Amino acid sequence: MVAIKQYLPKGLYIDPYELTSLQQHNLTEIIVTSENTQYIDVEAPEYLATEIDLFIYMKSDSQCAHCFRAMLPVHCRYHRPAENDGKTSGVLKSPEILIHCQKRGCWKQSEIEAPCSQRNGHTCRWNNVKYKFVNEKVIVHIPVGLKEHSSLVCVMTLLATALCSSLVLAAVCKHGHFSLAQCS
Amino acid sequence: MALLTFLGLEPGLQEATFIIRLFLVFYGVYQDRTMIVKYTDIDYLVFTDAARFITEGKSPYQRATYRYTPLLGWILTPNIYLTDLFGKLLFIAGDIIAAYLMYQILLLRQLDSNKACWYCAFWLLNPLPMTVSSRGNAESLVAVLVLATLYYMEKRNLVKAAVLYGLAVHMKIYPVTYALPIALHLQSDKCCEKGTMDTRHLKRSKFGFVLFFWKLFLRLLNYDVLLFGAVAGFTFASLSLVFYYHYGWEFLEHTYLYHLTRRDIRHNFSPYFYMLYLTAESDWSFALGLAAFLPQLLLLLVVSLAYYRDLAFCCFLHTAIFVSFNKVCTSQYFLWYLCLLPLVMPLLRMSWQRGILLLLLWFVGQALWLTPAYFLEFKGQNTFLLIWLAGLLFLFINCFILVQIISHCQKGEQMARKIKQQ
Repeated sequence: MVAIKQYLPKGLYIDPYELTSLQQHNLTEIIVTSENTQYIDVEAPEYLATEIDLFIYMKSDSQCAHCFRAMLPVHCRYHRPAENDGKTSGVLKSPEILIHCQKRGCWKQSEIEAPCSQRNGHTCRWNNVKYKFVNEKVIVHIPVGLKEHSSLVCVMTLLATALCSSLVLAAVCKHGHFSLAQCS
Repeated sequence: MALLTFLGLEPGLQEATFIIRLFLVFYGVYQDRTMIVKYTDIDYLVFTDAARFITEGKSPYQRATYRYTPLLGWILTPNIYLTDLFGKLLFIAGDIIAAYLMYQILLLRQLDSNKACWYCAFWLLNPLPMTVSSRGNAESLVAVLVLATLYYMEKRNLVKAAVLYGLAVHMKIYPVTYALPIALHLQSDKCCEKGTMDTRHLKRSKFGFVLFFWKLFLRLLNYDVLLFGAVAGFTFASLSLVFYYHYGWEFLEHTYLYHLTRRDIRHNFSPYFYMLYLTAESDWSFALGLAAFLPQLLLLLVVSLAYYRDLAFCCFLHTAIFVSFNKVCTSQYFLWYLCLLPLVMPLLRMSWQRGILLLLLWFVGQALWLTPAYFLEFKGQNTFLLIWLAGLLFLFINCFILVQIISHCQKGEQMARKIKQQ
């Protein structure tokens, strides 16, 4: 069995409820192993979020003899606006690859203990394996607002809302009836 | 189906729309099981999880992003005991009951039965409330409570209206803005002094303005207003106390405080979204938030004073203004004023072509926002400026439509006189 330990930086996150749904469809098997597993805040911006550690179980690829695949649905958080570049990057570093040998005695030392699968609670022993990267890291480009727009956006927004509210106010003053009701 | 014909609307219409909604609910079950993109809204899963916590004797706030009253979780406990479709069936039934209440209110306003039915069809056959309720959003429950409040106000049954109003404010905060129009409406039937104090008088004396508000304040202290305020306040306070006793500070924080202080920097229809995102951590953030609040406040005050005689029209304008100028705006909010539109439509002296054009304009405004939002969310492109501009355009379109509605409305007095002739 093959699994990977993946670390997600603050700028990226997974949605635990989406995960549950995908797991029900047998599309992925992932356990969140970070310290505050209870609560991944899906609404927090990057500067208020926490990192996430994941344990992802790989499946054999039907199209490739010695390949393993897994699906990880990653979302990007809102980042702070940037000074002059419209994109910032979230970096996914290479994961640790872990192998569990199912035959008895095939590895003398298996250092890491972790669940055998996402569904049952049995623990297995896994071994960390060194490997050659295809990509050392995966970079995700995340769009962000531009600070240089701040003044323009603030002024234009406030002008627009002032104008619109004046239009509505004028219509109400023209067509509305302002008086205390008369006696019947 | 017998229940539906009992409700008094055209038999064909409400049966047909109920069946369409039922079909959508079952289609939702199919889509959820077979496709990755779910039909059911994430909110419905939040409600169901919270209801599950309640059945286990725990707090519903253990479910992240549950920002509603515990009452909703309690109402949906049959989701766990019976079937998880119970909530959706309740919400689509709420749609039909809302249509029934609209029909009854229109009948009370001397509209004939056939016309009233057609105006209700605008709600029943409208795809927006259909999909919102069948996807599992609870907006139809608040719509029912607001419409029931207006119904009992028309019938001058103040105690029932006040209880329902207290319940409505407990479920969603926005009806609290109706407090001023309701108070003004209740004092308008009392005879306190002869003659009127109109705006021409104000221009002559600079103390006239102050005098106007002082006299208004005195007239608000009449029996009807105090009774309504006491009953509504008692309902709201007792619900809050019961839930505070059970769930503590979490209840106050998630049900009320979150919505009052909510600043969502993520993209939404509000014209303020990009401004708030860019200034989220700056020193100006608080001042800008306050500046954003002022147009809403001013407009709501002026609309209350101008249109309180026709409560449904006033509430419609209130909610439309509140939603359009709010710091956060999602498509669910549109239902809050859409449910009052069938009550307003008979008052409009507008050709149906103009009405259709305005409706199309509204949809075009949304489409122009949704397009760059799609590219931001799903393609990761930087379309923030376009989303911001589309948000401003949508605000213009909403205000244009509001101005058209205001200028094509029958004078409020004529409606009030009609009601008095009953």
